[in-house]
Amino acid sequence: MNAERITSEVAVEVHDLVKEFPSPDGGTLTAVDHVSFDVHRGEVFGFLGPNGAGKTTTLEIVEGLTPPTSGRTSVLGSDSVADRDAMKNRIGVQLQSSAYFQYLTLEEILNLFGSFYERALPPEELLDKVGLVDKRKSLVGHLSGGQAQRFSIVAAMVNDPDVLFLDEPTTGLDPQARRNLWDLIEHINHVEGKTIVMTTHYMEEAQVLCDRVAIIDRGKIQALDAPLGLIHQLPAAYRIAFATSSDLNENDLKALPGVESVTPVVLGGFTFELAVARASDTLPAFLDWAKENDVQVDDVQVVPATLEDVFLSLTGRSLRE
Amino acid sequence: MKKLFGASAKMLYRDKQALFWALAFPVIFAVVFGLFDFEQTPEVKIDLVGETASPVYGAMEVGLGSIDTFVVTERGDLGASTTRLDDGDTDVVIAVQGSGVEVAYNETNFQTNQFAITAIERIVDRVNLAAAGVTEPTVTLEASGVAASDVSYYDFLLPGLVAMGVMNASIVGMAVAISRFREQKILRRILATPLAPIRFLSAQVGARLVLSVIQSALILAVGIFVFGAELQGSLLWLFVLVTFANLIFLNIGFAAAGRAKNPDAAAGIANAIALPMMFLSGTFFPTETLPTIVQWIVKFLPLTPLLEAIRLISVEGEPITAASTQIAALTAWVVASYLIANRMFRFEEA
Repeated sequence: MNAERITSEVAVEVHDLVKEFPSPDGGTLTAVDHVSFDVHRGEVFGFLGPNGAGKTTTLEIVEGLTPPTSGRTSVLGSDSVADRDAMKNRIGVQLQSSAYFQYLTLEEILNLFGSFYERALPPEELLDKVGLVDKRKSLVGHLSGGQAQRFSIVAAMVNDPDVLFLDEPTTGLDPQARRNLWDLIEHINHVEGKTIVMTTHYMEEAQVLCDRVAIIDRGKIQALDAPLGLIHQLPAAYRIAFATSSDLNENDLKALPGVESVTPVVLGGFTFELAVARASDTLPAFLDWAKENDVQVDDVQVVPATLEDVFLSLTGRSLRE
Repeated sequence: MKKLFGASAKMLYRDKQALFWALAFPVIFAVVFGLFDFEQTPEVKIDLVGETASPVYGAMEVGLGSIDTFVVTERGDLGASTTRLDDGDTDVVIAVQGSGVEVAYNETNFQTNQFAITAIERIVDRVNLAAAGVTEPTVTLEASGVAASDVSYYDFLLPGLVAMGVMNASIVGMAVAISRFREQKILRRILATPLAPIRFLSAQVGARLVLSVIQSALILAVGIFVFGAELQGSLLWLFVLVTFANLIFLNIGFAAAGRAKNPDAAAGIANAIALPMMFLSGTFFPTETLPTIVQWIVKFLPLTPLLEAIRLISVEGEPITAASTQIAALTAWVVASYLIANRMFRFEEA
């Protein structure tokens, strides 16, 4: 975390937000269930959760696109409902899988959207940010998936917003295009100093990009912290996998300091996997124990737990379910 | 707003498929109908057989000869003429025997023969009257067309094609375009900007109103300059009426888009509204031929007062004031269709 980048000023405030929809069976479906959080200026704030968890609905209420059932949201002090127009001038919104006018060129679209705002950046400057200057006369339909996604981010920045909302910015992209987009988002935050609020269902993305992550499931925030903070809350924050040809007693392994569980492994050439609280405590003890007991350790790998493990331990389900 | 209107017009101009339906489709109608010659009565081939010296034969010969579309051939042999009738080489065989006239005709050519038989009956009547010594009939009938004699069917049709083309392009075009914007989440994206949705929609409406003026001008130009249609009255009022009524059709387009889940469904709903209206409201033929109940319903369709109003001006040469009833009906429709569109189409639900 960069102390200078992130300030104590609140950029986005969400207070006791509830959104109910009529469900097809006649009842009500609570998409957002008493959610509260703050985003600080300069921060990259992430919503991590499976599809249908309430990420997009929360974002759309904050952006002023959907009215809340109850509760209050504001951006930079402007209420999302009451001061909607003032707020819209200061935010940038990229919608999940939204297209742009198919018969206008990139330059024309940026010019058009720019005309909706009090101030606007010139199209060349915007396209230059994402390396699409030579495509300025092209139609959106002629862009690759990664280019189209980069364009949709830069189109959300025509008004040079202070807060940028990105809804699943990398969904459907190949790994290379995804990494390019991560660089872009990081640049927008680190260099341009814009506050970013994003949703994702890729735990790796949240871990790489976000200063803080709210894990959301079934309309509720299950946990909110920096990615490492979330992982360290886990009883077992690391896994130590090793390969050996010696016969071992699982109970000897369990007796080592900080070991939460021992699992025999079948894949990847390893024999056992130890779930441990801190690798730095357990690893030296394990190696000492192996030397003393003449256990031949052929290979050792230390893997930190991921947000996927955090999600699993919080909800009992995998992110991909 | 100027940028927004410019962009909306550009989008419309670059959407070649929409442009085809708006411009080429009604022009094709104007061309196809222009190629038919509705004024020509088909030729009837008649074989006249009998005793050439008899006065009845002579009278028939004169009577038949007075009708332009009858091609009369005098034949000596009834049997040969009957064969010619069977083979379709002639349409009617008239055999005069003494004071009797026998008419044989080919039943398959119904319309031609209806006309021919009626004409032949008239001739026989006239011969009978003359034989009875009546030269000045007590009752005379003079038939003349209700419309001025120089108004052709194409003159009647052309303003109808303008109204139909505009209606079709606006209802279907607007419904599909808006539905597509919604499907692509463009409406929602607009909602995330400070632009008031009504301005975005107004620019769309404005661009389509301009398109409909171009469209009307194109159809009229083809009709007038290529096929020689003759329009009466003020062309300006024709354009004003069509453009004003177009607001109704664009509202209907919005309403259809509001109901449809995707652009295909929008096209389906829009066509289901536009197609029956196109035929029932009297684009191609006067509505008087429809069953009474249907006529009553048709009166309340928005295309009907538009067609009536523009025909009052362009076909009958009346001033705009003659169409005040129709203009009142159109105004009521503009208001009603706006309310319907406002209820069925919600920008926010996009």
